[in-house]
Parts: sequence; structure tokens; C-alpha cells
Amino acid sequence: MSLRERAREGRLPNWAVRTLALGRREVLRVVRRPKNTVLPPIVTNALYVTVFGVILGARIGDTAGVPYLQFVIPGLIALGTITQSFQNASFTLFHGRWEEYVESVVASPMGHREQVTAYLLASAVRGLAVGLVIFGLGLVFSEIPVRRPLVAVAALVLVVTLFGSLGIAGGLWADDFDQLTVFNQFLIQPLVFFGGVFYPVSDLPGLVETVSYLNPMVYIVSGVRFGLLGQAEVSPVVSLGVLAGASVVAVAAVLALMARGYGLRD
Amino acid sequence: MSSSVAIAAEDLVKEYEGTRALDGFSVSVDRGEFFGLLGPNGAGKTTFIETLVGLSGPTAGTAAVFGHDVVADRRAVRQRVGLAPQEYNVDRFFPIREVLEHKAGYHGIRHETAQKRADWALDRVGLQEKAGATFKSLSGGMKRRVLLARALVTDPDLLILDEPTAGVDVQLRREIWDVVKDLNDGGMTVLLTTHYIKEAERLCDRVCIMEAGRSVAVDTPAELRRRGTDTYHLGVAGRPPGGALDGIDEVVSVERTDAGLAVEAGRSSGALPAVITALTEAGVTVTDVETEPTSLEDVFVDMTRTDSDRATPARPDEGTGSETDGPDIEVTR
Repeated sequence: MSLRERAREGRLPNWAVRTLALGRREVLRVVRRPKNTVLPPIVTNALYVTVFGVILGARIGDTAGVPYLQFVIPGLIALGTITQSFQNASFTLFHGRWEEYVESVVASPMGHREQVTAYLLASAVRGLAVGLVIFGLGLVFSEIPVRRPLVAVAALVLVVTLFGSLGIAGGLWADDFDQLTVFNQFLIQPLVFFGGVFYPVSDLPGLVETVSYLNPMVYIVSGVRFGLLGQAEVSPVVSLGVLAGASVVAVAAVLALMARGYGLRD
Repeated sequence: MSSSVAIAAEDLVKEYEGTRALDGFSVSVDRGEFFGLLGPNGAGKTTFIETLVGLSGPTAGTAAVFGHDVVADRRAVRQRVGLAPQEYNVDRFFPIREVLEHKAGYHGIRHETAQKRADWALDRVGLQEKAGATFKSLSGGMKRRVLLARALVTDPDLLILDEPTAGVDVQLRREIWDVVKDLNDGGMTVLLTTHYIKEAERLCDRVCIMEAGRSVAVDTPAELRRRGTDTYHLGVAGRPPGGALDGIDEVVSVERTDAGLAVEAGRSSGALPAVITALTEAGVTVTDVETEPTSLEDVFVDMTRTDSDRATPARPDEGTGSETDGPDIEVTR
């Protein structure tokens, strides 16, 4: 019997009820406040698509063998998914700690695995929803193929897992809003922008290209790009391998932090 | 696990950056008891509560709730505890009804049942009409009631109330106490911290007086009062000679007043007849007698008075509480 059927019959195990309750709260927070959650990235990406993809793209011509808009859309999807999944987990935990209502969860029977699962699920919903909207924006102006759907889905699921986990860690670590901004503004955004979203890494001069491959975002962007276009600078096996490895480490780390009550308990 | 003891704490120590918030605190609360924790600010009351629900880990010692260790088996403890904290730590993104539903969900209560429980809890505290309002839009008294409703929504066996009536007007305080007393009568164990000593005196089966992270005394309010002193205000004709009452062991102090004498003696010591006899033998006629019994507040102040307080006695004699049946002391040391 599936979880859904058991839920319908009221036979869902307690751990699932608890996890879904927190996950539901997290998703509702996003849905109820679109002006603060999903609308800003949609507007930003609409501007990216229009300016870089349509206006500049017409002058740039083909890039890596495809129209520039097609080239840039996978990167924008990766960028949107990364920032939204990170922001969702980091903001909700930080804000909950700041206003202390997270104690309602901490002082409940929820285990650390249940809490991490719920926060990751909500981050995934927000990150993937924004990624889907960016894909839709691309379709408005151009044909965007999905040549390897399984690779695309695997890459995006790993992206939301990795950055949802990093968001949890950031939300537990930050003591004020500035620290939260620092994490996003000075680490994640630069890595993403230098991760081959807007240009092929192989177009860079030798040493810069080599150094670029130390940037984990290159593998993320390549993974998503391969899933959509069927071609990328890094093999999908390597991309998904790096992403999977990083995700496992990140999830293990936040599970350990939550189990210790880091940032949540004295 | 069944246990007749709701809370058992042994030698609890909690250190924060060199400060001992709990310093060997021990206490035992029976199942179904209405138990009060009294103490000045910084006595360790909130730290003890946070230790019980696992928001704070003890540095040393042990504590158990219904037989479940608060560290090793903290999830089982939390399943049975409802906490209304001192601070307004309520999720402000949602209407209060949903806040309660979420809390019930975190305790494993299915959504449909959680909705019913939320309605029941809001109704219990008289906030059903505000179910769709956000916490921010409520008055101070309503916010206190939301905290109580949130603690009740999970149907706890132990209800912990940390200063639940701070800043609440008299009528609402009484309404809150009616609800809590009713729940206690139904078998729910209640652990209360309050600055309003008269509340503790009226409501609690037993009271623990805390000072500097330690338990100073645990007993019923009546027994604690017995540890204090009575003051006899005596109207006298004639000037009593000095030392007339020196032979009575129970007499603690004698002070001349405009009307005659104020004699402080051990509570229920039966010293009054001996005092009157001694004064009569000294040629003084006692024309009037009025006994001022000790209050829990007097005992509390005496037990928690620091050395510096004793050097310059400054006992509070009026408080911020506005009960119509007499002044209520709010201790804010």
C-alpha cells in the first residue's frame, strides 16, 4: 500500500505525518507570499531571457553549436534552482531562529531526519517550480529541447538537494541577516556566474579555463545543459557524479548539525 | 511508560559561559499535581523548563518526565509536554488556527484531527472568533491565550506555563486560570512559573522556591507560610518596660508603634497568650490585639533575600498586579 493510500485511510506512520506537516507549512509559506518568494526570481529571469537571450542573443549568434537563447536557458534554470532552493531553506530556518518560532518544531517529537527531509522537500518544490517557470519563459521565445530528460531531472533533483542542504547549514549558522546575505551574495552568486551560465568555459583562455573546472557550478550547469541540449562541456557521468558526491556530503553534514541541535539548542 | 512521578530532577547543573543557571537543582512533581516554581529573575526557572523540553542540555545531573530521560529519550518527553513559553515565539506567517494545526502535525496528529484539535483549543481559550487572524494583529492578552492554546493542541499530559499571565489584565488572568485549573482537575499535570505569588498561593498544590539555580524550599503554600512569622499589633495602656518579652523564645522582634507594640513571633507558635501574660505582669494593660499572619510572599522574600538585601531591608510592599482582592507582588529582581 502506498503512502498516499495509507494517508487517505489515516494509516500514515507518525514520522510521515510529522514530516508532511512541516513540509506543508514550508510550502504554504512560499505559496501564500509569492511577492516575496517566487515572483522576484520570475521577474529577474524574464529580464535575463529578454536581454541576454533575445536582444543580445540575436547579435551573438550560435554558441557551442546552438542559438544563444538555447545555450543560456539551461544555465538560467540551474541558477534559478540553486538560488531558490538555497534561499528557501536558509531563510525559513534563520527567520524561525530569529523570531524563535522554530522552537515549536525543536520542542516537538520530530527527529532530525524528519526535519531535514521536510526542509529539503520544500526547497525542492520552490527550486524546481522556479526552474520550470524559467524553462517556460524560454519556450516563449524559442524552441527548447529536452533531449535527455532523465539526466535533466537527475541533475535538478541533485541541485535542490545540495543547495537545500547548504541553505539549512546557512540558516543554522547565520546570526544576523547580513551573514545570510554574505553567503549568497559573495559565495554562491559569483561561483554561479563564473560557472558557464552565460558563456562556454572552453572559450576561456587556457589557465582560466583550467581553474574554472575547480568551480563546482560548472558541473551543475553542464549537467542541466546536457539534459536539455544533449551536449555539454563536461560528460554527464562526471557532472552527475560530482553533484551526487557533493549532495551526499552536504546532506550528511546537515543531518549531523541537526542531530547536535547546532544553532537550535543551547 | 507509566509513572506516578511527572517530573524528577536530580542535581541538575547548567552552565552558560561561566554562569551557573542551575546549580544542583533537584525537584519531584507528582502526576496530576499543580506545581509552582517561584523565584526572582535569574533564579533558573526558565532554564529548568528548557531543560525539560530539550531546548537546553544539562551540564550535569539528570531529569526525567513521566520516566523518560530528557536527554536520552527527549522525543518521548516532548510527545507528552505542552509548553507555553514566556516569549511570544509564534509563527507570524499564518493565521493562528493554522499555527495550531502545524504544531499538532509536528506531534504526529493527522491533518483532519489537527484541524479539530485546533478548533477545540481556540474555543477552550475563547479565541474561536479570531481563528483567521494573524498573531501580530492580536492584543497582548489574546497573544497569551494563543500560547496556551498552542500548548494544549497536542493534548499534553504535562502542561508547562512559563509566566503565562505576565502583562495580562485581571479579568483575563482569571479566565486563563479557570481554564488551567479545569484541565488540572481533569488530571493534567501543571508546572507553573509566575511572578504573581498570590496566584501560586491560590492555585498550586505545592510550590518550589528557587534562588540562584537551587531549590530553597518545596512544600504546600500553607506549610511554607507556617515557616514564616506572625505579627501581633498590640494596643497597650502604659509604657512597657524594656526586656518585658525577653523570656519568650518564640518572639523574634519587638517594635514600638504609635498604637503600642508590634511583636513578631513564630507562626502558629501560640506565643500570644505568653506575650499578654508577660506584659500584664509588667504592669501593662493590653487593650487591643490584631494578628497579621505571614503570607507566602513574606516567606518568599525572606528565603530569596540576598545578603545585600538584608543589609538594607527593602521589602516590596506593593506590586504591579491589580487583583481586586488585595495587592499582588510581582518580583522583578
